[in-house]
Amino acid sequence: MDFTLSDEQQLLRDTARTLLAKECPPSLVRAHIDDPAAADELWLRVADFVALGGGPLTDLCLFVAETGSVAAPGPFFATAALFAPLLAAIDHELTPAVLAGETTGTVALAGADGVWAANDEPVKHFVPELDRVDWVAVIEAGPTVRVVPTDELPHRLLATIDWSRRLFELDSAALPGTAARLDAATLDEVVRRATVALAAEQVGTARRLFDMALEYAKQRIQFDVPIGSFQAIQHKLANVSLEVERADSAVQYAAMAVDALDDDRRRAAHVAKAAAGTAATHSAKDSIQIHGGIGYTWEHDLHLFLRRAYGSEAWLGPTGWHHDRLADLLFNA
Amino acid sequence: MQLSFGPEVEDFRVELVAFLDEHVPVEARTGFDMMDSGAEDRTEVIPEWARRWQATLFDHGWMIPGYPAALGGRDATPIQTLAYLEEMARRRVPRSLHFPGYAIVAPSLLEFGNAEQQALIPAAIRGDTIWCIGMSEPDAGSDLAGLSTRAELDGDRFVVNGQKVWTSYATVAQKCFVYVRTDPTAPKHKGISLLIVDMDTPGIEIRPLRHLSGAANFAEVFFTDVEVPAANLVGAQNDGWRITQGSLAHERAGLWVEGVSRLESTVQSLVDLVQRRGLTADAGVRRRVAAFYEQAASLRALGYKGFASFAQGSSAPEHSYMRLATAELGKATYELGMELQGADAATRDSERGEENGRWVNMFFMSFANTIAGGTSEIQRNIIAQRVLGLPRA
Ligand SMILES: Cc1cc2nc3c(=O)[nH]c(=O)nc-3n(C[C@H](O)[C@H](O)[C@H](O)COP(=O)(O)OP(=O)(O)OC[C@H]3O[C@@H](n4cnc5c(N)ncnc54)[C@H](O)[C@@H]3O)c2cc1C
Repeated sequence: MDFTLSDEQQLLRDTARTLLAKECPPSLVRAHIDDPAAADELWLRVADFVALGGGPLTDLCLFVAETGSVAAPGPFFATAALFAPLLAAIDHELTPAVLAGETTGTVALAGADGVWAANDEPVKHFVPELDRVDWVAVIEAGPTVRVVPTDELPHRLLATIDWSRRLFELDSAALPGTAARLDAATLDEVVRRATVALAAEQVGTARRLFDMALEYAKQRIQFDVPIGSFQAIQHKLANVSLEVERADSAVQYAAMAVDALDDDRRRAAHVAKAAAGTAATHSAKDSIQIHGGIGYTWEHDLHLFLRRAYGSEAWLGPTGWHHDRLADLLFNA
Repeated sequence: MQLSFGPEVEDFRVELVAFLDEHVPVEARTGFDMMDSGAEDRTEVIPEWARRWQATLFDHGWMIPGYPAALGGRDATPIQTLAYLEEMARRRVPRSLHFPGYAIVAPSLLEFGNAEQQALIPAAIRGDTIWCIGMSEPDAGSDLAGLSTRAELDGDRFVVNGQKVWTSYATVAQKCFVYVRTDPTAPKHKGISLLIVDMDTPGIEIRPLRHLSGAANFAEVFFTDVEVPAANLVGAQNDGWRITQGSLAHERAGLWVEGVSRLESTVQSLVDLVQRRGLTADAGVRRRVAAFYEQAASLRALGYKGFASFAQGSSAPEHSYMRLATAELGKATYELGMELQGADAATRDSERGEENGRWVNMFFMSFANTIAGGTSEIQRNIIAQRVLGLPRA
């Protein structure tokens, strides 16, 4: 395993960065709050990259770090990081169309406690982007899976803190279609992939919040000097940058471990999500503090990323939950 | 986490493993706990077995594998060196119980010394000569450039007057790297020089100081009209600051693997401790141990990521991140180890408590790691100013 990025990977990251900076400015994230259709154009620009969902997780992570950095709304994450890998794993007939970006989908799995594991609860919770995608894969106890069109399924949009990711409840009691068996280990890998991908997104969000604070610290003058020359500010930024770098490395390692089916991937995925969640929430808090009053305004973009950071922290298992699972592996090994 | 490498590295590892299986002395297997800071009950600063072990490593080309055979190595590649450091760390086998000679003096002389001075390198690495480093003074710690020990050139010798403090190994060293002020009129970074000083030179007085852990491992060193041959000047006169930067970078370069491995083994010890104390059902305790595991594992990943720059010996920003994080986390993990012992945490009594006071010993000794060789605050300043480009106050 080698942590240096290949030329192709660097190109992918740079392409994603340029593309998303251009196609997903904060104004789009704001417009999407009132009208989710505001992200439709963005979807057309990124649809080609859903193909990454069928390849190495390492590459998908490079891309979603950039969607996290701009708090991209829309069906990309649900389709590329959840739906496509699941369909590919069960060799579903829709797979080629999904990977080609021709159709979109999401996954419904978690019960009321938000844990992404098979359960027999009829209502599935925290389902992303349900009303803006074509398909949903509903996973039930067994586990089994049913891939059905989303139109006219009974659902409820949750009022969430992060408007850049829309979450739903889905009542699966009277679903059409027949359920196919799903291997528990396969489901495990799919959820692990999505978890690491979300961690990569969170690192992108953390880095964005950190970069905003760093830049502001260099340019904001008080007491006749840049506030970034004050040690209280310098040490906050030093601590956050350590957490961001640590999380970034943990995510890359986890993605490599998942790609290699390495024994360490279970631990590595929990480590990645916990490290990324911690980095993103700390980065958010300190970034707002470093911005002072302007950071507390609606007009400033910081809160868009603050919201993404805390929304992602709670989704697919909060830091404490991943620590608990890590503890299970450490103490019961 | 264990990275797999190519055959070039795996063959190298096989050879190393065979050597270690045959030669590691039993005393070295007691592990990291006694590295550099010295366990409280160790009477000798550098015990005889440690001297023999260091010489054995040197003679077999395993002391600094990246160096040529004449310097105790085997021209190993950077990635082989990483594998070496990992293997040693995994077995918790220290290379040496005194780092100044091999880790600071040798690389500094290689870079800045003349031929005659470079002839001192093999003995420094083999441990035949014990070195100490005279940087810190009572009024110059973090602000090292503020040092005031004076050296005046008088014909073919320097006359040195002043005082060093916290000088590790001074009580047993034969030689010292002494940083002195040779031009008091120049700006403070520009009037510093480096001298090699024999510790038995008349006019040197050494007063041992005990660590807070109890071990007598550093000292105050007083210089009164100490005459040092002019030929002992390393590099150019008044150009010593550059060497301080270099030697600190050398010290940091290889240490992250040891730092992270030590952290990981401490986390494993915490798991064992939780089990022994019957606390495995305590959700809060489990979470805290897992959080430490998370931090150690992600630091290892960060270390590997910065490895390309480490390998080239340059001072990668990751150095400061790794040093800061491993030192601070180390302290926190040992403190949890104490806390888990409840009332017994007040004791280091072999009849009760855990592992004969190991946790409190390690906790107390770990304070050195956030102070020596640049405090945590100084590391944060370095990250803020040199890595993040923030302006100086
Ligand atoms: C176990 C041990 C072994 C040592 N061995 C050696 C040795 O062999 N040779 C040698 O020369 N020295 C040695 N030292 C000395 C060590 O390098 C110094 O202690 C260290 O550099 C700090 O200097 P100081 O003790 O004077 O503390 P100070 O510099 O006085 O610092 C006191 C406090 O102020 C803070 N501070 C200082 N400046 C700043 C700043 N700019 N910004 C924010 N905070 C600041 C520090 O972080 C610290 O918390 C050793 C120390 C220890 C503990």
